[in-house]
Amino acid sequence: MASLPEIQARLAAALRGAPCAAAADVLDDGIEAAARLAVYRNNARAMFDGALERTYPVLRRRVGEDYFRQLARGYRVRFPSRSGDLHWVGEHFARYLAETEASTGYAWLAELAALEWACECAFIAAHESPMEPRELLGLAPDDLARARLRLQSSLHCVASSWPVLEVWRANQPDADGHAVDLSNGGQCVLVSCGPDGLELAEVSRAGLEFTRLLQSDAPLGAAVEESGLDLAELPGVLGRLFAGGLVTGIAVATAGSNAA
Amino acid sequence: MSSSPTANSSGPVPAGAGIGLRSAHHEALVRERPAVGWIEVHTENYFHDGGPHLAALEEAREIYPLSLHGVGMGLGSSDPLDRTHLAHVARAIARFEPTLVSEHACWGSHAGEHFNDLLPLPYTEEAVAHLAARVIQVQDVLGRQILIENLSCYLAFSSSRLTEWEFLAALVERSGCGLLLDVNNAYVNSVNVGLDARAFIDGLPSGAVQEIHLAGHTRRRVGERTLLLDDHGSRVPEAVWQLYDHAIRRFGAVPTLIEWDTNLPELSVLAEEAAQAGNRMEGVRGLAA
Repeated sequence: MASLPEIQARLAAALRGAPCAAAADVLDDGIEAAARLAVYRNNARAMFDGALERTYPVLRRRVGEDYFRQLARGYRVRFPSRSGDLHWVGEHFARYLAETEASTGYAWLAELAALEWACECAFIAAHESPMEPRELLGLAPDDLARARLRLQSSLHCVASSWPVLEVWRANQPDADGHAVDLSNGGQCVLVSCGPDGLELAEVSRAGLEFTRLLQSDAPLGAAVEESGLDLAELPGVLGRLFAGGLVTGIAVATAGSNAA
Repeated sequence: MSSSPTANSSGPVPAGAGIGLRSAHHEALVRERPAVGWIEVHTENYFHDGGPHLAALEEAREIYPLSLHGVGMGLGSSDPLDRTHLAHVARAIARFEPTLVSEHACWGSHAGEHFNDLLPLPYTEEAVAHLAARVIQVQDVLGRQILIENLSCYLAFSSSRLTEWEFLAALVERSGCGLLLDVNNAYVNSVNVGLDARAFIDGLPSGAVQEIHLAGHTRRRVGERTLLLDDHGSRVPEAVWQLYDHAIRRFGAVPTLIEWDTNLPELSVLAEEAAQAGNRMEGVRGLAA
């Protein structure tokens, strides 16, 4: 008699597309084993595809059901589910699209997928109480340069060579799905999720890099310098972070020490 | 009648009818507060650090007693137990303080690949020993008893040597788990794999059944035969209600859940189905009085 691991190995092979592998394990009572195994194979595919569709609704709407299914089939072979939590099914979709669509007319899909994955991650992140900007405004100029801002964990920075935010907005459930001119150029987007839901905001490339540096715990002064952010732009970028409730704390290092 | 929403949501799941809560109904549940006794959610949907869905469940949890129903642990897999997944279950339990926690008598992954489905086990001594050991591991980590649900099946294994009820009774005896009896699954299996559904119910250890699931299914023709698909996408069929009556005559008024996952209707439809389950439980209580 076959062992439990042997049976599961053969059934797994059937679910991956080789129905004969497990036929001998299935009791024959008038319905072919292949038909019975097909129910499970279809279920597994539907669970995978459904999870991917829920994570990438804009991409699915943009390419249509048939092409999305085709993408999902190839993606599942390359990146099968590795978790009992379906949330993670879509984790590598942007990478897969970058590998497979780079030489097609759909090279931009990978960056749209990166934006939608950022939305997915923002949507399930913890939300901390935001900090008021007056604490920053009260700092002496030297302390201000050394200050490190703690940002909401839902905040994600997405840089794209394509107008992915325009595509995203045009393909929301209540939008008309109009075609976006892909020659409009790249967009940099801050993605976050607060009590009112997802927020997507376009920022300059320097503003995005500045925010990334803050996320990596760089002091304000160093973040401005390394990102090349124009000082005239700084109040606007910081104002957006505070207004969006994206700053949750400030730490100021004493001279010659690390941040407290 | 269904019991009304309780002000003491931290109490035990009442021996009444509840509904499965899906995110599409979050707002309506809190707004309408239907007269259902309790709610159940899929544990994996609340694994994460935060977000609107967690906030919505915290709000609902203030109104209704809660059950967490896992669909992703694949306890019977030959793959190692996913300790990260289990840690997430433990975190969800700590956060939401459910009164019932359940999983399935199934496997779900092989060589690290998850099929995200509830895959059947052969009813063998080896499989029950493996599953019981896993359930014990999980209960030890969670520090509480869990309920294990019988599956809907689309095939039977030629290697099975136990009946499904013997398999589950042995699981209860060895692991100390409770049972979640899915009556629709038993009915589906009666058509799909020739299970004697009433004998199945009669063969389960009565004290172990602490929760019942009810749901709808669809029919698919396969040549001259029919397979029932457990899609949770319609009202509970009459044949399942009749089997439910048989179950509650045997087990008494056990907390009963209306599951609905596809073709989701208005919340009021789920509440209507829960009310019918409640009425049938009242009928059994009346007979016992």
